[in-house]
Amino acid sequence: MLRCAFALVACVGFAVEPDMALIPAAKYRPLFRGEKDAKEIAVAAFQFDRRAVTNSEFLEFVRANPKWQRSQAKRLFADERYLAHWAGDLDFGKAGAAQPVTHVSWFTAKAFAAWRGKRLPTTVEWELAAAAGFTQADGTKDADFQQAIARWYGTPSPDVLPDAGSGRANVFGVRDLHGVVWEWTSDFNSALITGDARGDTGLERQLFCGSGSLGANDRTNFPAFMRFGMRSSLKAGYTVHNLGFRCAKDP
Amino acid sequence: MKTLLTLIFIATCGFAGEPPCCRAPLPASPPTDKSLYLLDSKWTSDVGKIVQLGVLRGRPQIVTLFFTHCEYACPITVNELKTIESKLPPEVLAKVDFLLVSLDPNRDTIEALAAFREKRQLTRERWTLLRGSEDDVRELAALLGVNYAQDARGQFAHTNLVTLLHADGEIAFQHLGLKQDPTPLLAAIGKAAAGARR
Repeated sequence: MLRCAFALVACVGFAVEPDMALIPAAKYRPLFRGEKDAKEIAVAAFQFDRRAVTNSEFLEFVRANPKWQRSQAKRLFADERYLAHWAGDLDFGKAGAAQPVTHVSWFTAKAFAAWRGKRLPTTVEWELAAAAGFTQADGTKDADFQQAIARWYGTPSPDVLPDAGSGRANVFGVRDLHGVVWEWTSDFNSALITGDARGDTGLERQLFCGSGSLGANDRTNFPAFMRFGMRSSLKAGYTVHNLGFRCAKDP
Repeated sequence: MKTLLTLIFIATCGFAGEPPCCRAPLPASPPTDKSLYLLDSKWTSDVGKIVQLGVLRGRPQIVTLFFTHCEYACPITVNELKTIESKLPPEVLAKVDFLLVSLDPNRDTIEALAAFREKRQLTRERWTLLRGSEDDVRELAALLGVNYAQDARGQFAHTNLVTLLHADGEIAFQHLGLKQDPTPLLAAIGKAAAGARR
């Protein structure tokens, strides 16, 4: 699989960026879908950062784009906790240079990606890459990977984040999609579950147009439910201590 | 037929005035920190005019995201907005606008929006209908707290949310869900109208 992906690179002549991995085109089975929705979504090949964006990379970004510095960012685009763990506008203080940057909003992540000539991954792209195991594209058939996931999602976030990219690479060469921080996606607000109390008491039909028929496809994939629930609870300006991002790019 | 003739008369003579998005913008003042008018995205109205949301500055906006092919909630949402319009006292009504933004830029062309305006009889002076790029719609929805996804039949599942923006574009009040008691929303609109500058 991987070999043919590289062969494809050679044939059609597009280059994968050094810090990015090529995720080959594949079919993704959505976690939630309507009764009449297709069982699978075709996802085109894309490039994906091998690791999450770090504090030092984010520092470069805010240095080049003063309007995104901690004291300058508009509250519309990033809440009061934006880069709260940094010591100043251009100083990430005690946070490690190589640790994933967190306390960043969707807008700031999007602006970073655009500055790098990249974009945020869609939720489907992110989930597709995250479903790959250590040794094969279908992680459900990779026992080591399944065990690692169960362990990760059962452990609270560490107080000190490990450096970005220190985890074991999946078959595509992408690291830390599980077990370090949550990550933003471009369409995080396509998740149609509400954390609002009213939504949990049977009023969904009044809150969401058309969501009545959504049913879960794989009820055993608990981590995916957790991510789905996490995304649906976010707002675009939120900044959270265990939420970072990485970028994607078309090949 | 009579209605149609009247509509044609209005459309051709511009007798009823331009939609809110076509008014001369108020002199630019720096948007406040949480104003949606910080967005620099460009939108096209059903009358073909390309605008930034900041042109709506000066009057409170009652905003909802919708799409014209909607089979379930949107007709109800627009009905509810029209009910709200009918319940507002004239002095409040003269100071607020309604804004509908399409979730479905692929199908909601300028023509589709114009037809929707006509079909639903959305008063020209008070209602703005806009379409934008998919990315810009995603961004606006994120700011409003509207989640949405398109299903295989082309219907959008989306949060039913009416947002009131005050005259400078910050969110003043949100009304979540269909068929909820509109009293708090009406009160919030009355309050916001007092801050109108045009």
